[in-house]
Amino acid sequence: MRIKNYLIAGVAVLLGTALNSCNSNDDQGTQDIEIPGVTFDGDTDCCSAEEALQVFRFLETVKIIPELSTVVDGKYNVFAYSRTGKFNVGYNELYFVVTKKKNGNYVKNYELTDLSPVMLMVKMNMRHSTPVSGPAESFNDSYAAVKRTWISFIMSSGESGSWTLGYNVSVLGSKGSVEEADITVDPLPAGQEWVKSFKQGDDTYYISIVNPTDLKTGANTLKAYVSKKSTPATTPYAIASESFRVDIDPRMPDMGNHTSPDNTPLTRQADGSYQGTVNLTMTGLWRIHFTVRDLQGNIVAGGDDLKDGYSSLFWDVTL
Amino acid sequence: MLGTLLISAIIFTDADSLPLRSQNLDEVDIVSGTTTGRNRSVKGQAAGIDEHISVLRNVNMVRRGSYAWEPVVNNMQTERLSTTIDGMKIFYACTDKMDPVTSYVESGNLQSISLNSGLNGNPQATGNIGGSLDLRLRKAGFDAQPFRLNVLGGHEWNGHLQVYGVDAALSGSRAYANLGAFRRDADCYNVGGGSRLQFSQFHKINLFSNLGFRLSGNDILEGTVIFDRATDVGYPALNMDVSTAQGLITSVSYRHLFSTASWETKAYYNHIIHIMDDTTRPDVAIHMDMPGDSWTTGLYSLLLTSFASHDIALNYDLYYNRLFADMTMYPGGAAPMYMVTWPDVGTLNTGLALTDDISISSRHNLHLSAKVAWQRQKLNNEEGYHAQKVFFPMMKDYYHQTTGRVAALYSFAATDNLGFSAGTGWGSRAPTVTEAYGYYLNNTYDQYDYIGNPTLKNESAIELNASADFSKGLFSVGADANIFLFSNYIIGHFEPRLSAMTVGAEGVKVYGNLKHATIANLSLTGGLEGRFVQLSGKVSYSRGRDNQGDALPLIAPITWQTDLDFAKGPWSGQIEVKGNGRQKVWGQKYGETASARWTILNLSAQYRYRYLTVRAGVENLLDKYYATYADWNDIPQKGRNIYVNLTIEI
Repeated sequence: MRIKNYLIAGVAVLLGTALNSCNSNDDQGTQDIEIPGVTFDGDTDCCSAEEALQVFRFLETVKIIPELSTVVDGKYNVFAYSRTGKFNVGYNELYFVVTKKKNGNYVKNYELTDLSPVMLMVKMNMRHSTPVSGPAESFNDSYAAVKRTWISFIMSSGESGSWTLGYNVSVLGSKGSVEEADITVDPLPAGQEWVKSFKQGDDTYYISIVNPTDLKTGANTLKAYVSKKSTPATTPYAIASESFRVDIDPRMPDMGNHTSPDNTPLTRQADGSYQGTVNLTMTGLWRIHFTVRDLQGNIVAGGDDLKDGYSSLFWDVTL
Repeated sequence: MLGTLLISAIIFTDADSLPLRSQNLDEVDIVSGTTTGRNRSVKGQAAGIDEHISVLRNVNMVRRGSYAWEPVVNNMQTERLSTTIDGMKIFYACTDKMDPVTSYVESGNLQSISLNSGLNGNPQATGNIGGSLDLRLRKAGFDAQPFRLNVLGGHEWNGHLQVYGVDAALSGSRAYANLGAFRRDADCYNVGGGSRLQFSQFHKINLFSNLGFRLSGNDILEGTVIFDRATDVGYPALNMDVSTAQGLITSVSYRHLFSTASWETKAYYNHIIHIMDDTTRPDVAIHMDMPGDSWTTGLYSLLLTSFASHDIALNYDLYYNRLFADMTMYPGGAAPMYMVTWPDVGTLNTGLALTDDISISSRHNLHLSAKVAWQRQKLNNEEGYHAQKVFFPMMKDYYHQTTGRVAALYSFAATDNLGFSAGTGWGSRAPTVTEAYGYYLNNTYDQYDYIGNPTLKNESAIELNASADFSKGLFSVGADANIFLFSNYIIGHFEPRLSAMTVGAEGVKVYGNLKHATIANLSLTGGLEGRFVQLSGKVSYSRGRDNQGDALPLIAPITWQTDLDFAKGPWSGQIEVKGNGRQKVWGQKYGETASARWTILNLSAQYRYRYLTVRAGVENLLDKYYATYADWNDIPQKGRNIYVNLTIEI
């Protein structure tokens, strides 16, 4: 959010300067905006100069994932990005833009669907998918041409198996796709565990925390998604339609299981995510033990006493 | 005038002086060679600053090791006292109070230490409910002896304490200078019975200089620089030691003398760096770094004048202090854990004080003092601020407080042999940075982690005091009593909701205001004075109660002391027997444990020959194993200690 605000502020200042410096030239007040590789030819499918500038600025904050780029119909380029240009175990946000080849400008309307990550476990010759969000969607009105979706990888690439990722894209009536592109999912460093599974009856759920790297000393909103494993397992795991309540108990295992007061359970929000408050009194390794309950308060998973007396379900975050 | 009278009227001073005295003022001399009969340590200048302070009335010392003791006045610790160095504010930099500011000077820097008991503080003092200490720097002054040189060497067998010092004073009509360098080194000392107390060593160097220039007949410019650095200081009562405690103290002042007044304006800056160290300790659960910094810059402007029967001091002061401390813990293999323990709190404080000494008649004196101060505090460290907000979600990152004090003391000499004084006052103090914003500060005394409370109210107290003195011939007796009736007394309260951070801690306490508390002190003195011999005795008793009638912690049990002094020609000597009774009432509720009774015997002797003074003595002659109620975690005091020191004054 802060980055976004800075961006908006930065762009506002830039635009303000640009506009003010051109006020002797009212009809073409934005002619000063220049973006490398982008020509403004008045194409209404594409962004205006101001919109394009904001998209461009956003893209400077993320890194491209080359293996997920594709060309649709010879007319459009599709580019995928993540924060680091890589994937890691746990929640990853993916950003997409589509450009027209002829002018390099960002296309405003397109659909990006059917994100399908698949892990092939070599030894067992078994395939499974992992939790994903739905179609990519615009998430910020200032650069609506950028669409976002997410994948939460439940394991890393390695000797046990490898990941592929595909998606479908539809741009102004032309259709394209990426099929089973090889991707690498890095394991998390020690002291980080961001996705856990639990069972209710025969159903398996995955609960992924969204913002582990944003956590700071103090009060934090902790956000998560609960996804349900599909049958067959190669179908991407969608957000679970069932609702739960997730009680949290943050502890510092290195500090005699020191904890903090006033943490609030994660509850389901209108957008399908779960949110609660986690208070962290210092940096270091925090083990956020959690207990999943149904809406009546009955324990679904966790809440059992591990040998140290806390729920065996936990995320690890290291600030 | 009256000030001099009051100061000189310390217990068992020269028999000629009026038995008029105030229990509110006391002073210990450090420089040797001045008139006899004043308070001073039997070790002379070789005594450490803490030993000098111990000589003062109403003072006890909290010891966490053999260095940097914390003065307690009227059974109140640092947070209820004001300590200034020649009127300069200075604040300690250790979240665990390992460095009371008195530890950043050396005996040789000082002329004397004055103590104003209770609310009747020195003009620069703020927040002094229990009392105010002012460390008076040594200044040669103009037109004094042109050249003086002091060379000092001392050795104490117990702990192999060595003291070396040299200071020089130059004086002329246009300028003066004091320069000095001092060094103290001590190994671990042996407790009574002979066993060695681990981690009780220290090392210290100190350099100082005072310069004065007479710009014109009535205009004087003065400057001070003190650099003090203690290294490898052990704290046997705590879990950690100190690798460096360093203070830089500087000031420039300008003084204008009028025919009946003097007006001094001083600007000052001091910086303290304090670095704790646990690397020499065995069995450290988690290695930690805990540095602290304190910066203070300020000024005061003091007008002293007298007219008719009034001696007036009017003082304006302004200071800005920043306190920052943090803690990094290194669990083996895992990520370091970091927290801000003092969130870079900037305190801007300004105050106006007025003191009036009125000689109503030769037998009636009235001393009035008042001060009002305003301060604003800002938490400059965002991480620390957000961390504390977990506990106080509504807290702000700035606060302001207004505090004040008024006190009156009336002294009456009924006859030449009988004197009374009575005083009263009201005063308040703002919570300290630790009390308001401290973050998981582990207190090894009660084994709780303490969290500051930014919503604390100011603490205030009403003080009542009275004294009476009677002397007849060789015989004298005196009684002193004071009582402090607190409102909103600040102390830690157990908070069962919170989980301790420190491994092994009992839990978490959060500072809160007790509606009421009371501290009362009573002391009785008596003396017999012969031509060469003087016998004096003193008994003190104190009580502290919280709002539920339970005992407050760190209140002295019954304390007594008897001195037999001899003086003849160049020889003088003292036999001292002192002790504490068993602590019958103690702050069990606040984690205190009772201390046992003890008695020790000290001997000292002094011989003066021309430029040379030799002092020698034995402390704790019977090698008793003992700890006072104020020995942190009951660490035992020194066992038998033989000392010799030598001063050459040219």
